[in-house]
Amino acid sequence: MRKTLICALVCALSLGLAACGGSAPPGAVGSASRGQLSAGEPIKIGSLHPLSGSAAADGQQMDNGARLAVEAINAAGGIASLGGAKLELLGADTQGKPEIGQSEAQRLISEGAVGLIGTYQSAVTANVAAVAERNKVPLVIDVSNADSILQQGYRYAFRVQPNATVLGTHGARYLNEVSAAAGKPAKTVAIFHEHGPFGVAVRDAFTAEAQRLGIQVGPVISYDPASVPDLTTQMTQVKAADVDVLMVAGYHRDAVLVAQAAQTVQPGVDAVFGVGNGGFDLPQFPADVGAAGNGFLNTNFHADMTNPRTRELAQLYRDRFGEEIRTAAVLAYDAVRVIAKALEEAGSADPTALRDAIAKGEFETLVAAPGPISFLENGENRNAVPILMQVQDGEVKQVHPTSFEEAAPVYPATPAAR
Amino acid sequence: MNPAVGSPAGAEQAVPASVAQAVDGDEGAVAGARSTRQRLLWLRFGVVVAAVALAVVMALIRSGSGVVVTQSIVTGLLIGGVYGLAAMGLTLVFGVLDIINFAHGSFLAFALFVTYWLVSVGGVHPYLALVVVVPVMFGLGVLVQRGVLAKAMSEPLENQLLITLGLAMIVENGLLLLFGPDPRAVALPGDHGVPVLGAVADLSRILAAAGALVLAGLLFLLLQRTKLGTAIRAVATNSTGAQLVGIDTRRIHLLTFGIGTACAGAAGTLVAPLVTIEPTTGAMFNIVAFVVVVLGGMGNVVGALLGGLVIGLTEQVGALLLPGHSPLLAVFIVFVLVLFLRPQGLFGRSA
Amino acid sequence: MTATTSTSADRTPAALPVPLWNRHLAVLAAATVLLVPLPLVLPDAYQAVAVRVLVFALLSIGWNIMSGFGGMFSFGHAAYFGLGAYTEVWLLVELGVPPWIGMGVGMVVAAAFAVLVGFLALRYRLKGAYFALATFAFAEMLRLWAISSDVVNRAQGYHVPLRPEPSWWYLQFEPGAPEYFWIALGLTAFAVVVTVLFLRTRTGQFAVAARDDEDAAAALGVPVMRVKLTTMAVSAAIASVAGAFYVQYYLFVDPDLAFGSAVSIQAILPAVIGGVATLWGPVLGAVVLGPLSDVTATLLRNPPAPLEFLHGRGGLDVVLYGVLLILILRLLPKGIYGTVREWWERR
Repeated sequence: MRKTLICALVCALSLGLAACGGSAPPGAVGSASRGQLSAGEPIKIGSLHPLSGSAAADGQQMDNGARLAVEAINAAGGIASLGGAKLELLGADTQGKPEIGQSEAQRLISEGAVGLIGTYQSAVTANVAAVAERNKVPLVIDVSNADSILQQGYRYAFRVQPNATVLGTHGARYLNEVSAAAGKPAKTVAIFHEHGPFGVAVRDAFTAEAQRLGIQVGPVISYDPASVPDLTTQMTQVKAADVDVLMVAGYHRDAVLVAQAAQTVQPGVDAVFGVGNGGFDLPQFPADVGAAGNGFLNTNFHADMTNPRTRELAQLYRDRFGEEIRTAAVLAYDAVRVIAKALEEAGSADPTALRDAIAKGEFETLVAAPGPISFLENGENRNAVPILMQVQDGEVKQVHPTSFEEAAPVYPATPAAR
Repeated sequence: MNPAVGSPAGAEQAVPASVAQAVDGDEGAVAGARSTRQRLLWLRFGVVVAAVALAVVMALIRSGSGVVVTQSIVTGLLIGGVYGLAAMGLTLVFGVLDIINFAHGSFLAFALFVTYWLVSVGGVHPYLALVVVVPVMFGLGVLVQRGVLAKAMSEPLENQLLITLGLAMIVENGLLLLFGPDPRAVALPGDHGVPVLGAVADLSRILAAAGALVLAGLLFLLLQRTKLGTAIRAVATNSTGAQLVGIDTRRIHLLTFGIGTACAGAAGTLVAPLVTIEPTTGAMFNIVAFVVVVLGGMGNVVGALLGGLVIGLTEQVGALLLPGHSPLLAVFIVFVLVLFLRPQGLFGRSA
Repeated sequence: MTATTSTSADRTPAALPVPLWNRHLAVLAAATVLLVPLPLVLPDAYQAVAVRVLVFALLSIGWNIMSGFGGMFSFGHAAYFGLGAYTEVWLLVELGVPPWIGMGVGMVVAAAFAVLVGFLALRYRLKGAYFALATFAFAEMLRLWAISSDVVNRAQGYHVPLRPEPSWWYLQFEPGAPEYFWIALGLTAFAVVVTVLFLRTRTGQFAVAARDDEDAAAALGVPVMRVKLTTMAVSAAIASVAGAFYVQYYLFVDPDLAFGSAVSIQAILPAVIGGVATLWGPVLGAVVLGPLSDVTATLLRNPPAPLEFLHGRGGLDVVLYGVLLILILRLLPKGIYGTVREWWERR
């Protein structure tokens, strides 16, 4: 009997202790009521990104971008309407996993974050958006393209980047415009898309708009971006179909495979046209694939390099972190500034007042867009519009619409042989 | 379970000559049994070829283009060669040590990164990296076997499985920790497309498949023509008997695991120009390697090569047959069928 | 089969007399009662870890029934976890069925799938490694099917719709509510009780006998096939409960989260570390592993000086899992609890 009691106590004790063995929140906030700030206390913004795991490179960039924004705002005097209160960025690592993202979001909120930004992976963002909604703390999504996140009726989630449907629709439009202007209008388009929700949404939106413009779509080939070893067979199908253009909606790894397959198989298309492609406009893509990627086009949201302030930020990033800034980081920068300006306009750090200010406000953006950031009823950014980029001479350049042109588009841009 | 190591006609090798001789008067029966086994083997081979041919015909009908199907066959065979290459070390280890090495894929990933490091830091030609990678991996394998696995060999199978699983987790995430998650690439200088039977293939892929053949040949020679190879086969067939004849089984275990890991290393280097180099690349090869090993018969090196070809074809032709689905699904269907209908694999001996 | 002498290597639970079972149940009751106030004193973030520990424990308890006590090593338990999760969420989202009922249906679906897999495997006489590989293959096929099937929303997965009010019936509460912990605790305790009861029945004892020596058991008239299938069904049902709860807690599921091989490994690790084929092994193992992720994440976020280069890198927690796994297997092959129990009894 004694043994039993001891066993029971040990088990219960170890369960309790182990549950306490989790991360200790640094300087946990006490019971300060929501939004009430004591004088001199900084306003906390939570930044949730994958700082480890397979997307860590992008996640780190985004966290860095957010930090630069916070520093810039603090240097300019903080939030004037709140007595010059400074901002503090609470960074958290989602590890790319939804359950970690959820518990980290919870932790940041309990530490007093009045607003959140993040997260990059759609599955994680979906979870964090639910946490934000239930806690009534606004989440400004910097990167995450799944349409479904903002179709749940959430009032506290906002998205800065264009969603997959917007990307697909504009992709078709830009293709039509650019090819017609070059005198070789694209009439038939084959599609490669990754089989997840992003690829499917882009495919559907692109197809709908393309057909409306009189472009025939097919064949449509999907693949598993994580495991597909090679796209030569699929590229041969495209070659056999004898189409004008190949549209690709995928990620970095398969973007490299597409470039290699195109170079090997020579499908005879006028252009390889990415829509929301996660690889074609990355700064390192030309280096990764060499000449194979020359001429590749991509319709995507992109930092506006024709804007001097964006170039300043890029230079600052280069000096501080020794790397080229990616668009994802610029979006995180934008997201922080949205929260900051909304705080300014709300004159209060109460998360619900903040949310209302975000919903009503207009916010400057360093991303190429036709207008300032401004949110629709469902939280989407009504002015989130992608632009067209092209790999030219080993560099990614903005080529369309003309208001954002760094260089004129080259069309046709048939993939080169070796 | 005495898997015959080294040849598809494994059934024959496993019957020691002495036994055949000792059965006096039954020589005719034994010889008759041998030729029946051979006939059954060819029958199985024929069934596989027929199944593949059927799949190809269906793919032709589905896709309506001969060029596409030819391309998928060519790509499938070349990829299959690579898969076979990746699986050879695994099957050898299983045949001799009865260890299911879940860490095989992560060893391959390790070799990928070592190759990348040599190429990017040392400016070495990727294939030259073999000179470093193979001995390093051999040493790693011997260390692992000696340090971690040797004592576990008498324990239940599950324990060995879990230990190698733990190793896989350590190696793969160690790579993630050291090299970070960014994908890397290694390019083969002078890589270009080579026309093959109306389809196209990259030179690097052809060379990798050729490497697979060479490796299979080398392993075959090692196992069949050298004293070490005979000792290995003896231990594979009958460990106690081998000990009784004076073979140091522990040494053979060390050497075999080392060779198996070195094979994974060679596979990694040859495959480096073909894949995006990430810590998780090994996991993909791991799964496929297991399927190939089961298909070809655990312990059968040439079976691994042939199994690899079948799986490569299944994947590529399967993508044409099941257009909405991941081609891995076709691979797993084949896997499950083989597991149930003939778990000793197409070319392994009857259990 | 009365209590044997303590020198016997065979300390299989089935050899223990019934009063010892009651002792285990008493410990369970005491521990559960002691833990009830835990969420009221723990801050929210730690509570999330505690719930995660319980979900792991639940899944691993299920695995342990089939693979530990039943001796049928399963490498694809994600199949049952995922079936529980998807059944529950599909019924909820598409048909508005409350989660508890969905959980029940999920248990039936998972058990049926387990019986199917088991029947095929046993009929074709798959053993040991081959059996394990077959279970893995089935889990992977479910994952690949789910990714491309419109029936279950393809790779997009499902969101659990948010309710305006907390609800026991719909298993949804305020974020960080103690109810989540209590439900998880209740489910885990229930799983332990099921394990005990199962092992006390004849089927359970036959299962252990068949594990120890199948031929002898068959020779003694044990209906091996039926016993094994029942064991698999019970094991799958419990794993599916973990899946259904997981969805309600994290409010989201997709094919990778449900059927991925990471889940299968999560099912195995706690039991191996705690002690396979012991009652408390999986729980103890989950308690050890659950917070490990958090600890390493904290470490990597602000690494001490010598480890500075690791800042922001991922993978340390899995490396530690691997090291722990190997250490346990080499040094304490019976697992932590198993070794402690053996030592305790030998004194």
